[in-house]
Amino acid sequence: MAINQHFFRKTIIAGSGLFLCVFLVVHLSANLILVLPAAIARGLYNSYSTVLRESLFIQIIAYLLYASILLHVIYALLITLKNRKAKPQKYALNHYKQNSTWTSQNMGFLGTMILLFIVVHLANFWARIKLGLGAPVGLDAAGYQDVYEITNSLFHNIYFVCFYTLMAIPLGFHLHHGFKSAFKTLGFYHKKGLRIIANVALWYALIIGIGFGIIPFIVYFK
Amino acid sequence: MKIIFKIWRQDSPAEEGMLKTYEVDDLTEDMSILEALDHLNELLVLRDEKVIAFEYDCREGICGQCGIFINGRAHGPHDQITTCQLHLRSFNDGDTVVIEPWRAASFPVLKDLIVDRSAFDRIIESGAYISSKTGSAPEANAILIAKEVSDTAMDAAACIGCGACVATCKNSSAALFTSAKINHLNSLPQGESEAHKRVIEMTSQMEAEGFGSCTFTGACEVECPESISIVNIAEMNARIIKAKIFG
Amino acid sequence: MKLDAKIPEGRLEDKWRNYQLKSQLINPANKKKLNIIVVGSGLAGAGAAATLAELGYDVKCFCYQDSARRAHSVAAQGGINAAKNYQHDGDSVYRMFHDTLKGGDFRSREANTYRLAELSSPLIDHFVQQGVPFAREYGGTLVNRSFGGVQVQRTFYARGQTGQQLLLAAYSQLYKMVKAKKVVMYPRSEMLDLVVINGKAKGIIVRDLVSGQLKRFAADAVVLATGGYSRVFRLSTLAIGCNGSALWKAHKKGAFFAAPSFTQIHPTALPQSSEAQSKLTLMSESLRNDGRIWVPQQQDDTRNANAIPDAERDYYLERKYPSFGNLAPRDIASRAAKERIDAGFGVGKLKNAVYLDFQHAIKKFGLDSIKDRYGNLFDMYHKITGIDAYQQPMMISPAAHFSMGGLWVDYELMTTIPGLYAIGECNFSDHGANRLGANSLLQASIDGYFILPNTINNYLATESKAPSYTCDHPEFEQTEREVQSHIKKILAINGSRTVDHFHRALGKIMWQECAMSRNKTGLEKAIEEIKDIKTAFWNDVKVTGASNELNTELEKALRLADFIELAQLMCKDALDREESCGAHFREEFQTHDGEALRKDDEYGYVSAWEYNDGHFKLHKEALEFEFVQPTVRSYK
Repeated sequence: MAINQHFFRKTIIAGSGLFLCVFLVVHLSANLILVLPAAIARGLYNSYSTVLRESLFIQIIAYLLYASILLHVIYALLITLKNRKAKPQKYALNHYKQNSTWTSQNMGFLGTMILLFIVVHLANFWARIKLGLGAPVGLDAAGYQDVYEITNSLFHNIYFVCFYTLMAIPLGFHLHHGFKSAFKTLGFYHKKGLRIIANVALWYALIIGIGFGIIPFIVYFK
Repeated sequence: MKIIFKIWRQDSPAEEGMLKTYEVDDLTEDMSILEALDHLNELLVLRDEKVIAFEYDCREGICGQCGIFINGRAHGPHDQITTCQLHLRSFNDGDTVVIEPWRAASFPVLKDLIVDRSAFDRIIESGAYISSKTGSAPEANAILIAKEVSDTAMDAAACIGCGACVATCKNSSAALFTSAKINHLNSLPQGESEAHKRVIEMTSQMEAEGFGSCTFTGACEVECPESISIVNIAEMNARIIKAKIFG
Repeated sequence: MKLDAKIPEGRLEDKWRNYQLKSQLINPANKKKLNIIVVGSGLAGAGAAATLAELGYDVKCFCYQDSARRAHSVAAQGGINAAKNYQHDGDSVYRMFHDTLKGGDFRSREANTYRLAELSSPLIDHFVQQGVPFAREYGGTLVNRSFGGVQVQRTFYARGQTGQQLLLAAYSQLYKMVKAKKVVMYPRSEMLDLVVINGKAKGIIVRDLVSGQLKRFAADAVVLATGGYSRVFRLSTLAIGCNGSALWKAHKKGAFFAAPSFTQIHPTALPQSSEAQSKLTLMSESLRNDGRIWVPQQQDDTRNANAIPDAERDYYLERKYPSFGNLAPRDIASRAAKERIDAGFGVGKLKNAVYLDFQHAIKKFGLDSIKDRYGNLFDMYHKITGIDAYQQPMMISPAAHFSMGGLWVDYELMTTIPGLYAIGECNFSDHGANRLGANSLLQASIDGYFILPNTINNYLATESKAPSYTCDHPEFEQTEREVQSHIKKILAINGSRTVDHFHRALGKIMWQECAMSRNKTGLEKAIEEIKDIKTAFWNDVKVTGASNELNTELEKALRLADFIELAQLMCKDALDREESCGAHFREEFQTHDGEALRKDDEYGYVSAWEYNDGHFKLHKEALEFEFVQPTVRSYK
């Protein structure tokens, strides 16, 4: 549809983005299990992940999730290419930091970092558990796939800990702008409401960013 | 007062341009930046060189013609002013001041600092009017408009069409300009009957002109001389949805 | 040639209706075949172009700016008058007419002025319908305020941006007709000459300001809506591009120029601060409601304003005009300021300003209340001068503003060249010798929206039967050649001084001798000096660049060449009028207490100048006051 292509694409990005925001909340809450004492955490975490894998509802959600990530990335790419075409020549001198945040100007870069992270993250977990690539996954005492062990061993590798922690930083920044921006894209224009959303976005980004960033460390030192 | 100007010189749209350096000594700090350029142009004439082409008209911040990019900011280092309202007292003796034209694919450079902003006119043409003929109006007080509605419409209507929003936007988005006009007309009872058509046609034209899309960096509302809020863009988006559903 | 204003018969209130009853109409099918050129896209031009297109004519509209939306109507702050009597304060069409006629010091036509007031009410309806966000009461009705010394509240406004909002409405309507393919818009196009064939206006020569190419446009009628010419003073409240060239070319082709010297000087502008200054920004007159104007009692007092005690200040307006005080009309306030400044009491770096002080008002009403009333103006003042006017008084100074004078037009707004119309500020019709505040937007709009579209048919009805001409006509060729050689001549001079150099020199003379107060010796001296400037300009100006490219310096030079000639006529007109009226104050003709001395018997006419090979011949259109007896203005 040629008409209102901008709006269409932006709506997809905003919609998928918000969906991913919700997913992150669920994901983070589940990950909090990891900070519990190993004895409790292993069982809880493994049973939780098994329930997830076996629920039809969650399977649908999972496909939505893949679709969201793909759409978010593809449309962001399309928009970025088009936006670049709209400004073919850059300024010799541009003090854009005086009128906007660095984050808002670099969502594409931040997004690429996150994408990079997702690829690694999927290789670490999804590829092993779902696709059965790499070393086989063991079973725990209750007979569940021992996903906890995968996590645990990964987060005892200092390089991965650093990688996961550092990558939470672009995530936080990306979310801070993206969360606010999505509401405006979707036509929410109540002034007071937008101020509240801006506050929520800040807290949300802080919690998600710090949450995901700190868990590997806690596991490492546990 | 001395200023070292680095000014974009480009003879025509087809030719390559470049920044050229001009040192001007005898300036005073109460000169506006445009007056400083006037002065530099007089010096250039006497040196038998072509003058720097730059735009201006009212020189009181309302016509919107004088947009240029000064030291990395649309309309210079301050928020929410026009170029003509920028004075040399904002700079220090000996400063280097870089002046470039608005950069956007939809605003091609005509010469030096002058760009073609007719894309804005075409967006207006696509639907920024109320289709009533002269002579057909009802009595002015026949339709009551609440003060808040009228005030909000005026906030949006204040746009001077300078193009700073497009110039400063990393995507060269014209969303602030377009949304301001849409919200002005669509929020008034007179504009209501064409509201859906207007929002679709104006936003389509905006895209057809090759402006980028809004990613809410917020730079536009900081550079807008009329302080037009970025919330207008959100409101425009809501109007697009409404138009798609009910239009 | 006898000037016939073609005033319709009948009672004042019936004239416009009587005119319309008798005016010839054109059927819609024939309107399509008629072409009209509108030069200028301000409130008058855009309004006319849009309305004429709605009526079915084929319209071409030209402006020198990059967009029609930039026209200087955009800068009017205060508002627009209309006799709606929404405030229930005794206003009426007749009262508005009377105020306007009296404000103009009885130097305009009764019939025109009445029509202005009569059509003001439907004009507000029109703008509201076009989406102008006028100020509203909480209940949703329109608000009015008072303006410029009238006793009723009849001014409609949209914040301090009324002109902008009206212009944008006209611009929108214009582009509606561009979309309908009934108007072709030519921005960045400047009219450089008028083409007259067999005595009738049939087209124009235009310079495309981007390519520099000259282009010919033929039409059945030409409408000039090119605004005021106060840039002749160089420093004025006008936009830098505002010029008198279209008018001047039309004048040289046979259109009479009426009352060229009637120029309004606005009392509250920001003073000039350096030679390089290009523009005097207007501060709204409303500031005089609460500000007190003063200068030090001591000449060349260099103390900081706040350090001068009250007893050593001269509140000269309050002293001279105790009943009106700081609210004296524009011309009086301007003249009083000039008198003090000339006497050496001026303040500021160049000693060219007076103080406008809010300390008393701040004490009386509180800082918040003053911020609420004038916050945006104080901010603007701060932006431009860097001075905080809450802490120390503003410095203001008079500045050239509105040209009441312009091409002579009859009741139909047609000039003395058949088929050439002048509307808005560029004509002389409704304001007489002085324009009341908030009447300029009104006149521009009414001319464009309501009058011209109902008078032009009277001419075109006969013209549609006459042969039409194309751009190949020898007269087009000849005119284009003249324009071409005029440009070539300027570029060939290659002298040693810039265009601005000459403009500054011209402005100084005009400001000194032909602005707020004039006298015979000064005017005669000015005429001689302008002659010298003209000679020097044509021998020593330097314009770089070529004619076939975007060349802003060439544009300036072409405009200035016309300003120089126009200035000569302005001085001549001022010299000829041996009386004082409105904005025209001749020092020799004042009462013993320094007020304007009008001489209705000798000068109760509109001066209309005919151009004849560098000479000007005066024609007089006698003003007959059938309905109102001229009285003497008094603001004591």
